[in-house]
Amino acid sequence: MSTLLFYDEIDKPGLASLSTYHDIGGYSMLRKALDMEPQAIIEQLLASNVRGRGGAGFAMGRKASFLPKGDMDKYLVCNADESEPGTFKDRELMQKNPHLLIEGMAIASYAIGASRAYIFIRGEYMHQADVLDAAIAEAREAGFLGDRVMGSDYSLELWVHRGAGAYICGEETALLDALEGKRGNPRLKPPFPAIEGLYQGPTLINNVETLMNVPHILRMGGEKFAEIGTSGSTGTKVVCVSGCVRRPGNYEVELGTPTRDIIYGLAGGPPEGRKIKCWFPGGSSAPVLPGTDEYMDLPFDFESIAEAGSMLGSAAIIIVDDSVPIVDVALKTAKFYRHESCGKCTPCREGTNWTVKMLERIENGQATPMDLDIMASVCDQILGNCLCVLGDAMAMPISSMIKHFREEFEEHIEMARERNGLGAAIPVMNRDERGPDRSAEYSAVGH
Amino acid sequence: MPRPEINWITFSIDGREVKAPENAMLVDAAKYGDVEIPVFCYEPKLGQPVGACRMCLVEIEGIPKLQTGCSTPVKDGMVVHTQTERVHDAQRAVVEFLLINHPLDCPVCDKGGECPLQDITYGWGPGTSRYIEPKRHFVKPLELSPLIAIDRERCILCYRCVRFSQEISEDYQLILNERGAHSFVATFDGHPYVAPFTGNIVELCPVGALISRSYRFRARPWDIEGAGTVCTLCPSQCNVDLTVRDDRVLRVSARDNDEVDDGWLCDKGRFAFQHIHVDERITEPLMRQDGKLVPVDWDTALTAAAQALGEAGPRAAAIADGETTNEEAFLLQRLFRERLDCGNLSARPGGDLPLPLARGLADPALQATVPDLEFAHAVLLLDCDPIDDAPIFDLRLRKGVRRRDMNLVVASARPTALDANATTVLRHAPGTAEALLVALDAALSDDRGNLGGAASAAGSSAQAVQDLLEDLTSAGGDIVILYSERLFGGPRGPQAAEALLNVANRLNLTGEGAGLLEIPIGANGRGVREAGFAATHGPGFAPVANPGLATHGIAEALAEGQLSTLYLLHTDPLRHMSDGELWERALSSAQTVIAHESLMTETVATHADIVFPGEAYAEKEGTLVHPDGRVQRLRRAIGHPTPFNRHPGSGVRAGWQVISDLAKLLGLDFGVFAGSMASQQLFAAVPFFNGLTLDEIGGRGVRWPAREAARLAFGETSREPVALDVPPAAAVPSEDALRVGTFRPLWSSKEVDVSPILQYARPTQVVELSPVDAERFGVADGDKVEVGVNGTQVQGAAKLRHAVPEGTVFVAEGLSDASSSLFNYGTVQLRRLGGSAEESPINPIIGMPAIGESPFNPPRHELRESPPGTAPRMNE
Repeated sequence: MSTLLFYDEIDKPGLASLSTYHDIGGYSMLRKALDMEPQAIIEQLLASNVRGRGGAGFAMGRKASFLPKGDMDKYLVCNADESEPGTFKDRELMQKNPHLLIEGMAIASYAIGASRAYIFIRGEYMHQADVLDAAIAEAREAGFLGDRVMGSDYSLELWVHRGAGAYICGEETALLDALEGKRGNPRLKPPFPAIEGLYQGPTLINNVETLMNVPHILRMGGEKFAEIGTSGSTGTKVVCVSGCVRRPGNYEVELGTPTRDIIYGLAGGPPEGRKIKCWFPGGSSAPVLPGTDEYMDLPFDFESIAEAGSMLGSAAIIIVDDSVPIVDVALKTAKFYRHESCGKCTPCREGTNWTVKMLERIENGQATPMDLDIMASVCDQILGNCLCVLGDAMAMPISSMIKHFREEFEEHIEMARERNGLGAAIPVMNRDERGPDRSAEYSAVGH
Repeated sequence: MPRPEINWITFSIDGREVKAPENAMLVDAAKYGDVEIPVFCYEPKLGQPVGACRMCLVEIEGIPKLQTGCSTPVKDGMVVHTQTERVHDAQRAVVEFLLINHPLDCPVCDKGGECPLQDITYGWGPGTSRYIEPKRHFVKPLELSPLIAIDRERCILCYRCVRFSQEISEDYQLILNERGAHSFVATFDGHPYVAPFTGNIVELCPVGALISRSYRFRARPWDIEGAGTVCTLCPSQCNVDLTVRDDRVLRVSARDNDEVDDGWLCDKGRFAFQHIHVDERITEPLMRQDGKLVPVDWDTALTAAAQALGEAGPRAAAIADGETTNEEAFLLQRLFRERLDCGNLSARPGGDLPLPLARGLADPALQATVPDLEFAHAVLLLDCDPIDDAPIFDLRLRKGVRRRDMNLVVASARPTALDANATTVLRHAPGTAEALLVALDAALSDDRGNLGGAASAAGSSAQAVQDLLEDLTSAGGDIVILYSERLFGGPRGPQAAEALLNVANRLNLTGEGAGLLEIPIGANGRGVREAGFAATHGPGFAPVANPGLATHGIAEALAEGQLSTLYLLHTDPLRHMSDGELWERALSSAQTVIAHESLMTETVATHADIVFPGEAYAEKEGTLVHPDGRVQRLRRAIGHPTPFNRHPGSGVRAGWQVISDLAKLLGLDFGVFAGSMASQQLFAAVPFFNGLTLDEIGGRGVRWPAREAARLAFGETSREPVALDVPPAAAVPSEDALRVGTFRPLWSSKEVDVSPILQYARPTQVVELSPVDAERFGVADGDKVEVGVNGTQVQGAAKLRHAVPEGTVFVAEGLSDASSSLFNYGTVQLRRLGGSAEESPINPIIGMPAIGESPFNPPRHELRESPPGTAPRMNE
């Protein structure tokens, strides 16, 4: 039985209310923190080696230590814009245990010296935002927020800011722009938010789950916390399993648990008679991995998944079984990123659009295997050349699908061509042999 | 504020060691090693880089990912590669991406041939495209504004225009709508992009997406020549590059000069060039016969003028304004002083200052430069609004506030466009800038008595003056006072000048980076005066034996018949002088009015007896003096227009030549056979111009206050503050009488009146008043109202502005009709005449259409043509 930090009591009735939370020892860690030196808290975070749970997996303690010391307007921002397809962990955590997040944020704010903190919550999470608002009101009433927190000299204001429904606002700098009331477009980095973030002040941005770990780290002590999980990936992780499995849902596991235990054990594996074709280990922007034993045996932690050629991301496992054509998966994924690209930088804006159009051609039976090379090359041209990682988030899974399932793509192309009466995908030199001119249909695709 | 210091470092680019300023962006630093890194979105004038286009990716050793050269500051020892396969791949990728939705209609695109996208595609692109899908389509072209056409299919979404609107001109109108591949540039609610500086986005656009409608389909780059000169349409004297095809000016572009204009132009400067080629141009000499102006040959006109001037002798007078060059002013004052023994010369509508004051204000130590407006610790904007008086200064002040945290302190009667950027705003009563200066002087010298008295004379309070002073002086010692020549208008002009010099003295504005900066009323107001065209002094502020009459005196003397002949050099007194009614009488009483003018204005048509056709600025050669003392050169870009009779030599002649010929007929030979000889004479006659040559002035100009000759000419000047008296208090508004103030809108000029494309901006009379007063008088926004006193009335549309102080109205002056030059400061009665006045879609104050009254009403981005008769057509 692995350690549980969040899910041991998450279904306790009334946990979202202050009284129940207080009864199980809530806010005692805030009390403890307020008696500590801020630097000592950061030391604990560093010792715990807790890595960001939002996707990039950057060590939280290190990020917090980048913030300049001294008296200035600093900010803590909680990134609750959970929009990555397949990810739904923060939603449950915030809804069922909002005070843990508030306590974590209060401790983190105190540690970095911020007197203002924000929760930027995804616009669609209306219920969760209401829950948070209510919890914040309770906490303020009880003196855990506001002027002179718990009678100390430290004051903290915490606000919930509701997003307007753009995926890009989950990118930290776009989130800051949106929070400032601007259009949510990513900013150029450097300067990083830790130096110049919200309203040009030093800003620490962390995911909901990351901040919820903070009280636990303080309770257990950083070194003790680091004993959970593996040496590089400490702590537990809430894994969102979805797609073709029998028991989709959120499961908290210790990092380093074998993947097979999660997919087949906890989530029940694919439906009767199906096989796993591939899976996304960390949300739709992670490169897919095949469902073979080699990959099922991977320990589910940051290093192992990265070594296998993908990334842990937000730990949202999406299972694709053999009944789903890979082209559909690719098209669905690419369409999402085309829709969500902010349009600021060229490779992402044009590359996602182009990829979708090529995939649509494959689907319509108007492509040749050569288009796969072009598509792979376009993805390659996006990778690493964009302003933020949204472009990469499309390029990585699409490239990986072409890499692992090229044969299926080619088969799909041939079958779709046949369905379309276009014959085999061999170069055709004159118009008559190319079949009917369908260019008129295309014009509807653009605008 | 000290200018940023340059620290030179060495870095390696493509294997070569290159010296470059530390922290310069790699794109700029690379140029020191003759390496070009291609860019689209990067434009240093727009401020911080955004890194959006990704064209400038380079490889830096030690950093795994490619970095954008536009946003990476260069450091010592950095090793940069721009020619590796990785970089080439990335560059080819970005060009391929940019072109997939670009129509590639270069053969019919106006940008073709001078297009960065074209150049970069040739230089860095893959040469072919693998994209076979349908391209993105938009309805096109659309009218983004009366001046600009937008073709969204060509747009590469580089954000330059949007950044200009958001961060430079701060009109906040342009945005990107939608997102991803659907993004398009638009104003947020689809109304036309009308603002004072919109034309700059045409020049910023790196593709043919934004095209000026006056240039569309007019020429290709291989048809045209560029000609650098200086715009003379306002005192900003921006450096411009004229696009000339077949001896016609087709376009005006900025000729970046950081010391003058920072590379921007206002829409007046950019589009009013159309006045050069219109039917209203006077192309041959005219004389009044039987009440009508008829063409005559030059000999007849010159002889008649010489005779009139000769007969008048000391009873002649001349006034000059606008685009008059230093040389024209210098030669005409020589003619008047040396031959006619007459000193009735004036270029100041408000009257000339006594010599010691004129000289004191021109003291080189007190002169601030244009960049000082940006780098100063604090700027006092004293009763002027740069957006109307010298628009390009407006952008400079915004830049100072935005990028250098400068304290902008506004003290003005009328709300200014910069109020929102100001640290402090003080509203005084119209016409009481002098009282405000006296109050400032008192506050600086701790004279409590004068402070209270003067502050209340200015309609303000001692506390407000002290708060203003606190913000002005708290940031540091580099303080600039920006004021308008109008400060010296009226009978108390000399006292106002004394007060200003006192304040400058007490604030110790003699240091570098601090000083005074005057916005003259005429474009070359400063140069004309320094060339000696003034009642009180000769060239270079030399004393004169018998000072003549200044403008107001000339008008009175003419009206009473004491003067007989008036020479108008590029000026229209009915439009530009206060006391319009007096001037009406003066011009009617004058025996001979000689008008030297390029456009047939109402005044010329009604009052001139002899008309010399004048040159437009594109045809002129000569020198000007910028408000900050920079001597600049006008270079001839095109020939003179062909006269109707097409006889050689019968058309427009150079101004210096006309005056020189006139002098010859009166027996005075200047010995001037070329424009440059007139310049030489001027440089020799004005002590602080001594030693200047046209070569030295060159394309960038030379600030004379910074030259050695200036120090010699002025010597070590020191001035003790003088005792000031408190000026009379401002008129007090009462139940039925309101204070009145005037302003000259940016667009009120004869050039705008005749430029077809700017008709939308031609101002009509407005009466600005506060909503509180409007309610009291039962006036709604747009109602037709009349203001007046003692039988003098002006009618206009009521314009409700919250920022206008209660009890005050403002009316425009310098309009071609309904001019308010009838008023002096005081109070007026206001009367409502009826509902909405005649249609005036564009508010002349800042040139914005009233919401909902757009002349186009474009349905978002689908408009193809404007309704008939509302605006020039796309293809006109």
